[in-house]
Amino acid sequence: MNIRPIVAVLFALLLGPALAPAGATDQAEKRLKEAVDEAIAIASRAPSHAALAEELRPVLIRAISFEAMTRRAVGPGWRQFTDAQRKKATALFTTLIIRNYCGKFTLGERPVVKYKPGVEPAPGRVEVPTTILYKGSHYAVNYRLEASEGWRITDVQVEGVSLIANYRAQFDALFKKGGAEAVLNSLSQAVASSK
Amino acid sequence: MNSPLSLLTTALCLSVLTFSGCAAGKPRKSPPGPDSVAVSGTRDGKTAVSADDDLGEYELVRIPDPIEPINRGTFWFNHQLYRYALRPISKTYEKVVPRPARQGIRNVFRNVEFPVRFVNYTLQGNFARAGQETGKFCVNTVLGVGGLMTPAEKFPLLANVPPTDTGLTFAKWGIGHGCYLMIPVIGPRSARDTVGLAGDWALHPLTWVGFFYGTWAWTIPVSAGNTLAVMPEKFDLYDTATENAVDPYVAMRTGYFQYRNEAAKR
Repeated sequence: MNIRPIVAVLFALLLGPALAPAGATDQAEKRLKEAVDEAIAIASRAPSHAALAEELRPVLIRAISFEAMTRRAVGPGWRQFTDAQRKKATALFTTLIIRNYCGKFTLGERPVVKYKPGVEPAPGRVEVPTTILYKGSHYAVNYRLEASEGWRITDVQVEGVSLIANYRAQFDALFKKGGAEAVLNSLSQAVASSK
Repeated sequence: MNSPLSLLTTALCLSVLTFSGCAAGKPRKSPPGPDSVAVSGTRDGKTAVSADDDLGEYELVRIPDPIEPINRGTFWFNHQLYRYALRPISKTYEKVVPRPARQGIRNVFRNVEFPVRFVNYTLQGNFARAGQETGKFCVNTVLGVGGLMTPAEKFPLLANVPPTDTGLTFAKWGIGHGCYLMIPVIGPRSARDTVGLAGDWALHPLTWVGFFYGTWAWTIPVSAGNTLAVMPEKFDLYDTATENAVDPYVAMRTGYFQYRNEAAKR
């Protein structure tokens, strides 16, 4: 009796679940590395922060799901936003996040990013832990990516501090005080302020 | 945490705690205000990126902040202090002292703080980490010229040991944060971590030497040197939490609790 097909099926059954997540994490990690490398390359040649922000914007828009970030940062109050308010909030939040990201770069400094193996806590979601050596200091930075029109970043945690969780607490207080308009006004003020 | 100033601020905060009736775990008499909110983390299992069914992705947890108006006032004061005094000093230090020298100074201070980490890991029952800290201290002191360099990081067994302190020991013992405090100059702390500062101070070798010689004057420039060495990194984290925030006070409070909760898990 030829047992090869049986062995092959057994291997497939045993290894299948292990191999499937690896495929997802590989794809997500690859996409993350491409985006991070591209961002670092731009940052290392940008002559000014204004030029950096201008060049980075399209890269970040491709790599980050800003709509998901905005929606989750606002939380359940998002249901009470009109379509126009949602668009405005997403546009303002996008500008704020891009400025936040660009502000992290000191011109002339090149970060060294070390990637650890990603994990897939749920289907369609991958978390990639990294350590970043920047200006002589080490930082633990975890990226969360989700499968939506390709793998896109939906949150970044720096030393355990989640970008979206941080805004969630801020927006919650504002929404409870003045609804969608209060959130939009505060976002507009934050975007308008120089720092 | 290594100066009489820190003890003073700890005592001050403890008195504030006493007078405000705020103790760790004590329930509030009135519902917390909308600002008393932090985020505990994210829920697993949701993957929808385009639907509205992920709006509860980031759950909120109430943080007791009974003296929020005072804390906000202190936060404003600290922000101005950082902006107009400490940050320019920190920037000047970064320009004047070359990076290798700054790194060396910081390494020496971290090495000297070994007893704080060793005792706390022991109190947490984490004897493996206490052993790693001892190994790190020996290797860095002997091979790293008194801790100027960190050759221990090249040994896989001794590399990447996360720092710890008394506040984290309390966390490991199951003690909650208690209420939130904004301490003048030092910045955000929970009630638990404020008490922890006293433990760190007592465990610091500078404190022992100060007691032994009966004089503290010389510890001031040493502490100032340590503060200078860590300031650039601290300001980076401060900026991460507050820059581009719609409410920097809430951003700092949320960021602090997330940061400490994550540290307690390591």
